Amino acid sequence: MAFVMTDASFHSAAGEPIESVLREELDHGDAMIGTIIPIMRHLLASDDHSVFSEEIVARSRAMLEDISSQLLVARGEALQVEDARNLDAAEVQAMVIALCGDAALLAHVHGLAVEWQLTERLHARLGLDPVLSPLLQALIASTEPSVAAAGMSLLASQTRFTQAQRRMKLALSELPAEILHGAIIALGQHAGPDDEGAMQAEKALCDAYDEGRSRLGLMARLVMGMGGNAQSALSIEHAGVGMFLTALSIATGQDRTLATLTTNEGQVARLALALSSSGMKAASVEQQFVTLHPEISLPEGFDSLGADRAAAILSVGTGYPR
Amino acid sequence: MADSAPGVAKARTDAEDHLVSADEPLHSLQLRCGGDVPGVVAIPALLDLVRKCRQFSMKLARPIMANDGAHAISALAEVEPAPGGGCTIRVRHWQSRALPPEDQVALGSRVAKIERQSAEFHAVLDADQRVLTAEAANDELKPLAGAMVAMPGKAWTGYVEVEGGVSSKDMHWRLLDGVNVKVAGSRRPWRALISPQGGTLGKPAGFTLSLTSDVAPPEQAPTLSPEMRTSDTRLIGRDVAPVLRQPISRIIANAETIRTRLSGPLAEEYSNYAADIAAAGQHLLALIDDLTDLEVVESEEFATAPDHVDLADIARRAAGILGVRAREQGVIVDAPRAGETLPAVAEFRRVLQVLLNLLGNAIRYSPPNSQVWIRLEQEGSTAKVIVADQGPGLGLDEQVKVFEKFERLGRSGDGGSGLGLYISRKLARAMGGDLRVESAPGHGARFILSVPADSAA
Repeated sequence: MAFVMTDASFHSAAGEPIESVLREELDHGDAMIGTIIPIMRHLLASDDHSVFSEEIVARSRAMLEDISSQLLVARGEALQVEDARNLDAAEVQAMVIALCGDAALLAHVHGLAVEWQLTERLHARLGLDPVLSPLLQALIASTEPSVAAAGMSLLASQTRFTQAQRRMKLALSELPAEILHGAIIALGQHAGPDDEGAMQAEKALCDAYDEGRSRLGLMARLVMGMGGNAQSALSIEHAGVGMFLTALSIATGQDRTLATLTTNEGQVARLALALSSSGMKAASVEQQFVTLHPEISLPEGFDSLGADRAAAILSVGTGYPR
Repeated sequence: MADSAPGVAKARTDAEDHLVSADEPLHSLQLRCGGDVPGVVAIPALLDLVRKCRQFSMKLARPIMANDGAHAISALAEVEPAPGGGCTIRVRHWQSRALPPEDQVALGSRVAKIERQSAEFHAVLDADQRVLTAEAANDELKPLAGAMVAMPGKAWTGYVEVEGGVSSKDMHWRLLDGVNVKVAGSRRPWRALISPQGGTLGKPAGFTLSLTSDVAPPEQAPTLSPEMRTSDTRLIGRDVAPVLRQPISRIIANAETIRTRLSGPLAEEYSNYAADIAAAGQHLLALIDDLTDLEVVESEEFATAPDHVDLADIARRAAGILGVRAREQGVIVDAPRAGETLPAVAEFRRVLQVLLNLLGNAIRYSPPNSQVWIRLEQEGSTAKVIVADQGPGLGLDEQVKVFEKFERLGRSGDGGSGLGLYISRKLARAMGGDLRVESAPGHGARFILSVPADSAA
């Protein structure tokens, strides 16, 4: 096997004695070896529900590739390149690497993969429809025309989302504004300064974008429109996974991606606290646990924890590192 | 999704994120959040959204949460870039929920914490509320801090005027906490906050005293522009003094703790050593203040901000600040009577600084049971304040040397830096006046501060 050095060695100044180069390289190797066991332990010990299951990783990577392709196509079309959709695979990979530098984007696609996995799991176990939940049905049947219209838009949007997830794709227009902005900046950096195509693509993407028409925007709008009845969206069986996660994030003031992670087995405390801090009764919290984690029961004395205390404890948790 | 649907409030912002127009209920929330129309968006979640909308040039739609002190408000805000660099805002699904009443005790302690954090003056007091050390965060209260540091060990109420004429003798700290006080040299009303430190709540080992004011500090004198303030000549004032003050204040506070045996019995010698440490620390602090002033008056761009002032009033304030110290030395200060006035054109705090220096010197070098006079005179277009003492006086050559930099006239160990008169004369001259001395050995000294009289008054 050839002696391959990692990137670190290229940063060493030319003419440095070979010993120090090797010593530094050995340090990097040691650091890498140090992370092998914890990662392996996590991968081996966890089942398909893990936040790092092979499916989740594959899905996240595929969504990043799709985003990269869309950005590059947008640039090509802005420059009126013939055959703009015919992309060089190596360039897409380079763009994926550029996008990997954006922690918010990574968290977002990972969160969507976890959401989709949960959607499929509950579909299989409880027959919960991935697109049309009882709540969405009720909203579409609303006598209020604007609510019914928004409900129809969400139905279409959720249908597109399920199709896209099955193909492991994610449309740029579905990204939250900050994350789309970050992706556009990454395109600009990838293309180099003053790249005409990147600048025109940015203009076209921003002009076409409307957060309120994205799936997440529509969900937020419908949950906010429910006013005092928003509690009913906090039932996963009634609202469906997507609406439930949006309602949970609004009720607890958490980022939606973080709210998504609370449904994972490793985050049961966060879930219990989040539900409780939204003002939900202990019996209803238990009901949600039965739906999400049938094998886990709430700790003794949980019903005595008030919403205020739950919110106070929850606020100590940091979520994603900042 | 018609925009004219009931329950949709529309608003507009301009390129500087100022709310130009807003429908109800957004308009009144903006006012309740402390904003204005037109004025910068005062609802934090909405401001964040508007900024992002402008930065990204994208249409955003998100739930926003706000709190006007009595209600938790949630709504869905749609923000869209508008031509001209501003944004159009549409707010729907407005929900307002009364917040549970706040725990008054918790609220009180939080307010107290905020007030202490934002206080402009801090002093450390011992168990009997006597001043150990003091530090002012603004020029207005520097004379007070200076007076306290120069002569610590007295009840703090002796340095300020407690409103309502409360007799400070053995007042319980709870009665003094939150009391309104007047500070000589400051035109703002102040509130004293006392919080116990260490010991038990019934018998605290000491206190911290903070002064806060509900009135904002006056604007900085416009004569020193920001660029000039940052000029490289201000090494001590800008870089050195701020980092030295805190550690030295700690040294003094801890030395005083040892000296007063706050933490338990201690041999007399050690208590005396601690007193020496504290005194040396106070000398250092005074020296830093003097060096900072020296740097200011020697910089080329130094100028004062003349105003219409009353020299009699300033003289009375100076006498008030140093009254405690004078009484301790057994010196009687004869200040201008109430009602006496002498209008002049000068900078209030600079005149006060000069008079505090002159009066402080007079008290320091006066024999016990002697008198110090502060007299006012007007001579044509010049207004004069004369500080006369019954001290040893100065010979002719000393009268010249006394205004020189670092001149101590052979004295040492009394806490002086030899800069006070030099700085005072520089200040007097910067105000278009002068500082002179008349004296004969054995017949006391008369320091004469002259500034332009206020002919308009």
